[in-house]
Amino acid sequence: MTAGGPHRHALFAVALCLCAAAARADVYQEPDAFIAEVFGSKPAPKLFWLTQDIQAQAGAILGHPPEQLRQRYWSDAHRSVWILEETGKEELITAGFVVAEGRIDHVRVLVYRESRGQEVRQSAFLKQFKDAKLKQGDRLDREIDGIAGATLSVGAMERMARLALFFDRMSRR
Amino acid sequence: MSPRLLLLRLLRRWHARIGFAATLFFLILAVTGLVLNHGNRLGLDGRSVHAGWLAHWYGIKAEPPRHAFRSGHHILIAANGRWLLDGKTSGLTLPEPLGLIELADIFVVASEAALYVFREGGELIEKLDPAALPGVPVRAIGSSARRIVLRTASGIFTSADAMSWQPAAQRSVLWSAPAELSASERQSYGEALVPGVSLQQLLLDLHSGRFAGSYGPLFVDLLAVALAALSLSGAWFFLLPGFRRRRH
Repeated sequence: MTAGGPHRHALFAVALCLCAAAARADVYQEPDAFIAEVFGSKPAPKLFWLTQDIQAQAGAILGHPPEQLRQRYWSDAHRSVWILEETGKEELITAGFVVAEGRIDHVRVLVYRESRGQEVRQSAFLKQFKDAKLKQGDRLDREIDGIAGATLSVGAMERMARLALFFDRMSRR
Repeated sequence: MSPRLLLLRLLRRWHARIGFAATLFFLILAVTGLVLNHGNRLGLDGRSVHAGWLAHWYGIKAEPPRHAFRSGHHILIAANGRWLLDGKTSGLTLPEPLGLIELADIFVVASEAALYVFREGGELIEKLDPAALPGVPVRAIGSSARRIVLRTASGIFTSADAMSWQPAAQRSVLWSAPAELSASERQSYGEALVPGVSLQQLLLDLHSGRFAGSYGPLFVDLLAVALAALSLSGAWFFLLPGFRRRRH
C-alpha cells in the first residue's frame, strides 16, 4: 500500500463529500409546528408501548425490528398524529402522519436528510396516501407509484404509512 | 507445421494464459457487480465495514476515545460517531454523548440535542428529540432523588419519566462527568470504535478499480480489453471448425 498517498486523498475527498451529504438535513417543518397545525395547539403527548407482539408486527411492516420500545403520539377523539422516522437509502426521513377513522388523512415530510430523492415531499406524491387504509397483511389498500431516483425513499414513506395506520389501530384497542 | 497452425496454437496458448491470469480479477468484477446490482435487496446501504486498515487506506482519521461515562452498572465510550455501550457497538452514527445516568430500571444518555432512554438490558426505549426536551442545547445530565436532571441553555429542569419537565434548583444534583481512560483502555476501545466505510462504496471502488488508487481504473480498463480479446479469440476458436468444414 505504499502507492496509497495520492489516491487516498481522492478517496478521502469522496468520503468527505459523502459525510457532507450525510450531515445535511432539510427541515421543511418542525414536528412541533406540524402537531400544532393539526390540533390548533400542541396537546400533551401520549405513549404507545410496543409489546413483544406489536414489535413483531411492526418489524414485519418495517422489514427490521423497530428502533425503540415506545412511540409518542398525539390524538383527540377522531385523529392521531404520528411522527415517524425511517431510513431511506442511508439517512433517516422524518415524516408526520395524521390518521383519522383508520385512514390516512394527510402526510408531510418534515425532515429530509438524504442527498437525493427529495421529490417524496411533493404534494403530487404525498396525495397518493390520502384515505389509504390497511388491508389484510397490514398492506396499504392501494399501490403507491414510485419516483425514479427515489425508490428507497418511496419505500420508506410507504412503510411509515403502514406503521402509522397499524399503531393507530393498536392504540385505539 | 503450417504458419496458420502455429498462429492458432499461439492464440490458444495466449487465450488460456490471459484467461488464467485474469481469473481472480474477473471473479472480483463479477461478484462485486452482482452484489451491487442487488444492493438494495441485500440492504447494503446501511452497512459499513469497520476495520482500522480500511479506514487508514481511505484516509479517514480515527480519533481514539478520550474518556468514558460510567454509572453503577453501565459504561459508555464514544469516538468517531459510534458508541460502545456496555460492550456493544452502535450500528447507527450517534452524536457525542455528554453524560450517562442510571435510575431504578432505566439509564439515560444525553447528547446536546437528544436524550436516549434505555432499559436496564440495553434496549432503546425512546430517543427524545429537541421537541421533547425542555431546552437545547443540553449542557449536562445528572440525577437527583431518582429523577433525571438536565442543565440546558434555558435553565435546569427535572423529570421523573422524561415526559414532563419542571424547572429545578441545582442543589444536590449528581452530575455525570467523564472519566479518563488509561492508554491501554484507549487502545482497546479505539479498536472497537474505528470509523466505518460504506459497504456499497467499498464494492463500487473494488468494481471500478478506484480502491487501488489512480492506476486502478486503468487496470480495470486493461481487464476490459483482455475480456474483449478473450471473447473474440473464444468466438474465433468456436467458429473456426465450421469455416473450415464449409471451405472443404
